[in-house]
Amino acid sequence: MRATTILVAVAILLAPSCETDKGTPPPPTNPPPGSVRVVDIIPVSLSGETWQDAEPFLSVYTSNPHNLAASAFTPNPGGSSSTTAPIFVSDDDGNTWSLRNSVLSNVMTADITHAAGAPNELYAAIMSVPGVPLRELETNDIFAFAPMTQNATRSGIDQPFIRAVRSANTDRLYVGINDFNAPNGRTATVDVSLNGGTTFASRRIEPRNTLGQNAPSIRPAVAQDHTVYVAYFGWRSASGTTITSDIVVVRDDNGATGTTPFRDLVDPSDNQPGRLVATNRTIIWSNAPTLAQERIGSTLSIAVDELHSENVYIAWADRVGSGDIQTVHLRRSTNRGATWSTDLRTLTNTTAPSLAVSTNGTVGLLYHQLTGSGNSSRWVTRLEQSRDGFATHRDVVLATVPSATPAFQFLPYLGDYNMLLTRGNEFLGIFSANNTPDPANFPSGVVYQRRVNQATHQLLDGSGSPVAVSIDPFFFSVRVMP
Amino acid sequence: MHIRSLIISIGLAALAAAPAAAQVSRVTLVRQSDIIFAGTVTRVGAVAAPDLPASARTVVVRVNQVFEKPDAVSLMKGDSVTVQVARTGSLSAGMQATFYTTGWIFGRGVAVREVGHEPIRAQLAAVATPPVQQDSVAKARRQVNDANLKARLQAATIVVVGRVEQVRPAAYTGAAAPPRRFTEHDPDWQEAVIHVDDAIKGAQPGQTVVVRFPGSRDVAYVGTPKFTAGQEGTFVLQRDTATGSPLTMMGGQSVQAYTALHRLDVLTKQDAQRVRAVMRQP
Repeated sequence: MRATTILVAVAILLAPSCETDKGTPPPPTNPPPGSVRVVDIIPVSLSGETWQDAEPFLSVYTSNPHNLAASAFTPNPGGSSSTTAPIFVSDDDGNTWSLRNSVLSNVMTADITHAAGAPNELYAAIMSVPGVPLRELETNDIFAFAPMTQNATRSGIDQPFIRAVRSANTDRLYVGINDFNAPNGRTATVDVSLNGGTTFASRRIEPRNTLGQNAPSIRPAVAQDHTVYVAYFGWRSASGTTITSDIVVVRDDNGATGTTPFRDLVDPSDNQPGRLVATNRTIIWSNAPTLAQERIGSTLSIAVDELHSENVYIAWADRVGSGDIQTVHLRRSTNRGATWSTDLRTLTNTTAPSLAVSTNGTVGLLYHQLTGSGNSSRWVTRLEQSRDGFATHRDVVLATVPSATPAFQFLPYLGDYNMLLTRGNEFLGIFSANNTPDPANFPSGVVYQRRVNQATHQLLDGSGSPVAVSIDPFFFSVRVMP
Repeated sequence: MHIRSLIISIGLAALAAAPAAAQVSRVTLVRQSDIIFAGTVTRVGAVAAPDLPASARTVVVRVNQVFEKPDAVSLMKGDSVTVQVARTGSLSAGMQATFYTTGWIFGRGVAVREVGHEPIRAQLAAVATPPVQQDSVAKARRQVNDANLKARLQAATIVVVGRVEQVRPAAYTGAAAPPRRFTEHDPDWQEAVIHVDDAIKGAQPGQTVVVRFPGSRDVAYVGTPKFTAGQEGTFVLQRDTATGSPLTMMGGQSVQAYTALHRLDVLTKQDAQRVRAVMRQP
């Protein structure tokens, strides 16, 4: 009895200065050890939110892989007068998330990607609201509460997409940008910083004539030996909103440190930098609901095996013309982009492919595919893995949700892109989906932080009242196939 | 019983007769706040949820009444909130106050940053806190809203009550039209042709005005007012400085184009009365 009393007293003394009551529910139950985790990252304290949290993005720290940062088109909960936008953070491998407002944009962003540096840097490239100028941002602590600092800004750009790699004692940053300030309509650009964002140089990577611009998606991928690949669409001509495009990959073998970078991969057809992976493809540009409630027009991903930079994968979407709305193609090069395979995967009515290559060479392909038709159609979010060039692949369905609900609030509906990364023996990723808490919609399981009743398939607010279905960002991890 | 009534009367009278300076201060607090609640400090140097950092500047407040909060935020009577105080040492355990705050961290609990607080005397809190304080906050919010609207009205070139007769693609004249680009963020400028029924500022009844707005459904314009044919309303209009080509065509004539890009720029027809009243305010 006395020992018990002492133990209780010690426990009270050692307990953190933290109060638990009915306003602070217990933490979500972590999923059991297994091969798949799916977590709705909307925190319990925002259980009443009904926003369309589309176009998610994810960063993971190599310095502390428990730490993660995520974003989406999530508004600052403070409302329309807010001068900052949110970022989600997790310090426990993505099992729990909290939101803090540190991104320099009114309420939310119009585009945001980010990448972790060392030791605790987070670099973000955003299109801020209002006016949608580019802002290149940085913080040395994502768990801090101060606004990120701005390294650079300019207007007249589209869809910044940032990647980072450590070199000696600094971070090198590569930001794919469709830069309308570029001369001669050759707008595909990479903003390169070799000093952790202190200065940037805009490198033009399109050597050929265009219809007046390139497509929004300019995607860098960096290997540990500082080979940098960049994929882009070479838009050559247009008839209305039907565009004829090449799919192009450029490469730099020295981290883009030279004054004329990205010229190490030449196409034999014209001896110009930039290998033509595919030519004369038909792209339909539609900034309106077209693939169910999603828009289409610029869908592209590239990934390099970080340890074996000769292996690189690309995925893009175009219209094949076989009754498809758009089709995603996956191809591979095993000789540094010199030659490319035919389609390893051809996925009809698919969007937002994201690629990553794990350290054992397994490639992951994340995507949304529209299945069925009409009001019964569904968005199926799937991760495929393969180690044999997709002769065989192992698939996990992360979500299968109605495509017609909820009604879109704006575009993109789910996002012009998702994100897939690797960490050790895991693929880590993020996607957006209808958040109905129906276990059948998440065949691999799901954990909600926000209040839900999975038995009645209802979202609940803080008082227990039902909340309308909306689009939420879902973090996931999937074990890499051995 | 008589003593209790006397206390209530004195307390309410004190609140009602608050000096002007205090009222101005409350309006300022409300203007800077998005989460406002009455509560009791339960712990100092502590936090209400384990995913938050405790410090000398954090206190835990038990919520007695929520006056304002965003819909997304889960916060109700009885919840404990972590408050990062504006000034260390300004709050002590047991103290009751109205807290004016902004959202800070949203995780397993709500954490807010204090903009300021107004202490509530214990006697008054016991009998009259929620309605009196709620009314005070609501009154201050109305003043803030009126001030915001007045600022929009003062900045406006014209303010009209009217009806959208037509929506059409933007017709540029004079300066070059903005370049058409393939970008998801293309505003896709449209024009609403509005017949003026009633002119509140800078226009004439019967006049027709052209208002440009982004027709795009892209995320960048999610909060920007859109117009539809047949729509009636009170419109707070600025000269177009957004498209780079401020003139448009109307009846074969080159005329000034306007914009209404702020959520306060498009009000209901019934709001015209309030608009007139706000414009008359000193």
